[in-house]
Amino acid sequence: MEEFFQQLTNGLAVGGIYALIALGYTMVYGVLKLINFAHGDLFTLGAYLGLTLLTSLGLSGHLGTVLGLIVLAIMVTGFVGIAGALLERAAYRPLRDSHRLSAVVSALGASIFLQNTIMLIYGAKNYVYPLDILPRTTLHIFGLPVPLVRILILTASLLLMAGLYLFIQKTRLGTAIRAAAIDQGAAKLMGINVNQVIMIVFLVGPGLGGVAGLMVGLYYGQVNFTMGWVYGLKAFTAAILGGIGNIPGAMVGGLLLGVIEALGAAYISIAWKDAIAFCVLIVILIVRPTGILGERVADKI
Amino acid sequence: MKRFSTLLLAVLFVATGAGISMADTIKIGLMAPLTGSWASEGEEMKNIVNLLADEINANGGLLGQQIEVIAEDDGGDPRTASLAAQRLATQEVIAVIGTYGSSVTEASQAIYDDFSILQVANGSTAIRLTEKGLKYFFRTSPRDDEQGRVAAQTIKGLGFGKVAILHDNTSYAKGLAEETKGLLEKTSNSIVFFDALTPGERDYTAILTKMKAANPDVVFFTGYYPELGLILRQKMEMAWNVPFIGGDATNNPDLVKIAGAKAAEGYYFLSPPVPQDLAFAKSKDFLKAYKAKYGSYPGSIWAVLSGDGFLTITEGVKAAKTTDPEKLAEFLHAGTQKVSGLTGKIAFNTKGDRVGEVYRVYRIDAEGKFILQDK
Repeated sequence: MEEFFQQLTNGLAVGGIYALIALGYTMVYGVLKLINFAHGDLFTLGAYLGLTLLTSLGLSGHLGTVLGLIVLAIMVTGFVGIAGALLERAAYRPLRDSHRLSAVVSALGASIFLQNTIMLIYGAKNYVYPLDILPRTTLHIFGLPVPLVRILILTASLLLMAGLYLFIQKTRLGTAIRAAAIDQGAAKLMGINVNQVIMIVFLVGPGLGGVAGLMVGLYYGQVNFTMGWVYGLKAFTAAILGGIGNIPGAMVGGLLLGVIEALGAAYISIAWKDAIAFCVLIVILIVRPTGILGERVADKI
Repeated sequence: MKRFSTLLLAVLFVATGAGISMADTIKIGLMAPLTGSWASEGEEMKNIVNLLADEINANGGLLGQQIEVIAEDDGGDPRTASLAAQRLATQEVIAVIGTYGSSVTEASQAIYDDFSILQVANGSTAIRLTEKGLKYFFRTSPRDDEQGRVAAQTIKGLGFGKVAILHDNTSYAKGLAEETKGLLEKTSNSIVFFDALTPGERDYTAILTKMKAANPDVVFFTGYYPELGLILRQKMEMAWNVPFIGGDATNNPDLVKIAGAKAAEGYYFLSPPVPQDLAFAKSKDFLKAYKAKYGSYPGSIWAVLSGDGFLTITEGVKAAKTTDPEKLAEFLHAGTQKVSGLTGKIAFNTKGDRVGEVYRVYRIDAEGKFILQDK
């Protein structure tokens, strides 16, 4: 039983990160009906930018650990958000009116472009975040050893998700985003600047992905230019699992996927972990084609 | 890059042309990954073989003749290797040193065998290469099953009973894991855990938690260093103090950077010795000469083993007093002649595998340095 709860906490920590990345997929899909395959590479970009800013500015030295990390997270969100908006401008906007498949091919191309750009700038070797920026204490909750950082990561993910949910549901901009997601033409007629809405979606989604990259870098330490692939794939799965286009769905899907993986590894087989996760996805899609919380489903991709 | 390789080809062509005009030389081929992802290893191989050839030539040559080294690029790629082998085979070389990757070597084996040219591989550890009964094939590198044997012996020697084995499903890591498992099961050791991780992930806590529940005395990891670094770090955070032993794919300084010195301390791994730890008189002189000529020590043991391949050939020619590959092969298979090489005594069995142990045990100390352990 102790092992079960230990695996549950392992799964939730991993799932929190999946969920954060899945939000980016789901937001873009909700508004543009486009799977942004470059999202995983924006996540990688966040991890690398975080490392560069951390080591070159020495933020935690000047401002103290907590404030320094918050400033760092804001900077990374900003930079990756800008990169996302630029990506939209360069790779997706020119194809807005063409066939959906063209935009998907463009997304795949953008992914390859970003990945190789990162490789050419930083090199193909592994980079390592400085050790001991985060406190390495382990808490004991009901006798379970849980590293403090894992709790912090999960809390930070949940806070960001809650913030995003409130932003979408309660603000004017959020209402505009929802309107554009339902019908772009009608939204335009109501006086909503759809281009601006899409720009904001591409600022927020990739920004969250960038923060997830920063958190992975800070906690796990090692970053390399291909890391976005595995995380991107898992987060994409999580988004589909929860119902793509649906923000609470991405959160549920991410956490669920993390837990399924951990428990599958624990009680069935480690080597079959990914197969188990994808089998669950297939079963859910057969039973409920729109995903757990979803109303719509990707019918072309 | 393309222009560079064209230039390289041109240089090789000119060098070859010049070679044919000189009648009184003994030609030895070197097939090495001079381009591609292993290019740094290949460059060292070429440097080492050239250095050793220059030494012999300066001391009057071999059987009164000068040695000429002909280097061909295999690109670390089986198809390029078969072309390189054909080019070397048509240039009257008596023997070829090389190469590094097992699949690359395999692509060239049949060609050299057809032309009756002696081949001494220097980095290819796959078992099957010497199980084909090829008469002219030898290797100075150890075999994968040798590593498994040393691993089992080390685990027993350190007094561990219950063993967990973790691999990553690559053919090398899985092979080593299964080899070691088979050997340990024959003795009093019990295998309490045997499974594979997925390389390229960041979070391995699910695996660690599962392994911890099996309660092993030691974990033997046969995969590569990036995953191991993360595992050691996450193991420390879980406050689990089980010792880890790993295979030669974890021998990389980046391991300590990823794990941090504190998490890496106490980690054991098996590997052929790093060049600076070679303690033979011959290797010390060689390292000094290498540094004097190229400015730094060679970084790769597999490159040093190409030097051993060269010495195998030249000492064999000297002792057998012939350059006839057939007689040389018979002479080397007999195993009576022990050449003192850069990594110790070199002798071969009838299959062409090197006799004797090459693997050593290393331990990482508190500062993150790799310390060679006494046998």
